[in-house]
Amino acid sequence: MIRFENASVTYPGGVEALKNVTLEIPDGQMMVIVGLSGAGKSTLIRAINGLVPLTGGDVMVDGVSVREAKPKQLREIRSKIGMIFQTFNLVKRTSVLNNVLMGRLHGAGTMRSLLGWYKPVDIEIAMQSLERVGIVEKAYVRASNLSGGQMQRVGIARALAQEPTTILADEPVASLDPPTSHVVMRDLQRINRELNITTIVNLHFLDLAKVYGERIIGMRNGELVYDGTGAQADERVFRDIYGRSLTADDMMGQDAPAAAAG
Amino acid sequence: MSAQATARRARPAAPPRRMKLIATLALIALVLWSALTIDIEIDRILRLPEGLGLIFYRMFLEKGPLWSYFPEALAGMIESLQIAWVGTIIGAVLSLPLGLVGAKNVSGGFVSNAVRQVLNAIRAVPEILLAVVVFIPIVGIGGTASAYAGTLAIGIHSIGTLGKLTAEVVEGIDPGPVEAARAAGGAPAQVQRWGVLPQVMPEIVAFWLYRFEINIRASAILGVVGAGGVGDALNQAMIFRRFDRAGMIIIVIIVATILIDYVSGTLRRRIIQGAGAKRIHGEEIEEPSFVGAGAGKEGSGSG
Amino acid sequence: MTASTSSLGATQRPAKPRRSPWTIIAIGAFLVITWWAASEEFGIGFDVVRVVNNLTRGASILAEFFPPNWSYLPQTYGPMLETFKMAVIASIIGCGVALPVSFLASRVTTPNLAIFLADRGILNVIRALPDLLYALVFVSAVGVGPLPGIMALVLFNIGVVAKLLSETVDGVDPGPIEATDAAGGNRTQMVRWAVLPQVLPNYVAYSLYVFELNIRASAVLGIVGAGGIGNNINTVRRFFQYDNMSVILIEIFVFVFIIELISIWLRRRLV
Repeated sequence: MIRFENASVTYPGGVEALKNVTLEIPDGQMMVIVGLSGAGKSTLIRAINGLVPLTGGDVMVDGVSVREAKPKQLREIRSKIGMIFQTFNLVKRTSVLNNVLMGRLHGAGTMRSLLGWYKPVDIEIAMQSLERVGIVEKAYVRASNLSGGQMQRVGIARALAQEPTTILADEPVASLDPPTSHVVMRDLQRINRELNITTIVNLHFLDLAKVYGERIIGMRNGELVYDGTGAQADERVFRDIYGRSLTADDMMGQDAPAAAAG
Repeated sequence: MSAQATARRARPAAPPRRMKLIATLALIALVLWSALTIDIEIDRILRLPEGLGLIFYRMFLEKGPLWSYFPEALAGMIESLQIAWVGTIIGAVLSLPLGLVGAKNVSGGFVSNAVRQVLNAIRAVPEILLAVVVFIPIVGIGGTASAYAGTLAIGIHSIGTLGKLTAEVVEGIDPGPVEAARAAGGAPAQVQRWGVLPQVMPEIVAFWLYRFEINIRASAILGVVGAGGVGDALNQAMIFRRFDRAGMIIIVIIVATILIDYVSGTLRRRIIQGAGAKRIHGEEIEEPSFVGAGAGKEGSGSG
Repeated sequence: MTASTSSLGATQRPAKPRRSPWTIIAIGAFLVITWWAASEEFGIGFDVVRVVNNLTRGASILAEFFPPNWSYLPQTYGPMLETFKMAVIASIIGCGVALPVSFLASRVTTPNLAIFLADRGILNVIRALPDLLYALVFVSAVGVGPLPGIMALVLFNIGVVAKLLSETVDGVDPGPIEATDAAGGNRTQMVRWAVLPQVLPNYVAYSLYVFELNIRASAVLGIVGAGGIGNNINTVRRFFQYDNMSVILIEIFVFVFIIELISIWLRRRLV
């Protein structure tokens, strides 16, 4: 379980990105965070694995305080939390498999990872992750030769290879086209249900949020302003969260393809 | 996911890395052969730290920096700086017209190519060789003659590098203003002066400054063969095993070089930014023969 | 030029902007320094007249370079080979050491300010001295032969490659770095998997470049006794054997040229 207790983040310039957020996320939940740019979505997600350090309050992951964690402990915590990025963050010049194997780095010794001699079990886990997202046949392809959607699936595979208890996704589909976005979101949903991994996703498009969010959190100006289910969230709710009326840009505008056209 | 997708897709086999293996083995073989057949006794390698430590100690620590020798060291360094200065100017002045001619868009393929080859030939000879082989025999040694030889060596060598860089910059210009100058009826020289030069001068001046930084290093050591500057004093100090003097000289060289690098570097940046020219990531390597305005400061012998 | 003052109102012609004082100062300083550096009393006593005078004397000496004494060639094979080996060994050691040094010299891979500054500082000092100077010192420290030459070249290599590579590292895409951090990797793993793959092509290019510099440099290091063909240069010039000298020069030139060709070919294949 992940718990925020009066968590605050104030950046050196004085910007208050998070203000006293208290929040509890039970295991296995699929939670979507919505809000305007700069509302604190990214900060909230990055506070969970300590990429953004808190300046006030605390966040606990399975009872362990992230703020107090020493570097080694922090790495231990992070190894159990997979992260997916808007810009994929793949190493373009190397193979898909090597990218996924980065998820096994924490367990592999320093010497082994230096030489790239992963244990067979690590390679097996990496392959299985690739199979789970359906692109194992690209294992030895150079990452730069993939499409955007494929790259993001490699990102998901990398997160899965960590055998995580939680997956954080920071605007995972913002760089993808609508059909691919649905594919990726559905992958995340499937992983959440099949493997019972807590999944926390930042989303920009409100229609996507409504469809895939078991639970929706609304952020505005660093504060938590809404907490409800996807079913309950309607236009009025979103307008409250945004503090303005909605525009066409706020919706992706294309429904999920009816049949499962992977 | 469709049923087809959930069926196990065949895992691909790892691609063979034969070429990479062969290349690595070849490299290792080359290195081993070089290391094993070169004429160095093992015990000399073993005594290396001892020898180094001793000389480092004698240079800097035994009596502390030899401040009494500072004036002479400084005088020598100043002479080296002067050699580098005048040498760079010679190189700059002569390389400008050569560089212009060496540009394809100024003088057409054949002529520019010929000029570039000449420039390459000049560049290939390290300054110290030029000094040792050509200029010292010509002007002799002793007194001002030696500084003279060093200056010429640096100057002529710089023409090679600066000429090439100038030509490349000129080849990269926007043809618009040049066309406009021609269309307005300008003679070739005027076209150069008003159409070409304004675009390229900031970059070229930056190259000149960078070349100056490199030439300081060259001039500092040219004295070893008698071409003037502080290198001569250094050589004498080493020969007579006055390591404390050598240490002082080295300190002076380091400080002077770093200072000038700093000033020159700042000037270069101002010039580039002031002109609004596109920022040079001045340390790119373009091709193998590219020396200067780029990777680090080569020693004198490899300029 | 002919402003129609009627519709625009009276527009005054702007005053010509004064030349920035900095430019004038710069030009003035330049002239003064040049005069000082070239003058007889304070400087090196350079004047163009002398150059012209010496040209005639030069011509006769230059004539002695031709024809080259080709019978001398076989004596140079051994030293040239030694030059080549020195360059190879120095390149491997130098580029190898430069790799970790360059990571320490970039804030991207070394957040610790003290270590970073120390590394940068040492690099600056190393780069302030020419390779020939190191050779001179090392010859006194360990004796003559190729060993001091290799040592000098190694230091020189580290200076060049580490500076270049650290600047490349400064400019890498931070995305993969964030990804390794998020996955719980430590600094070494981050450098190996997020940074190194990005800079590897540059590293290879810099290494090849430095190898060529080494070839040229090791040809002259022998002048101070550090092995290679430079020794021959010394002997030959002491005895004024200009016809032998021209053989050496041509040989060096051809050798460097061939290495350059190979290097271009290699670079194309690798990238």
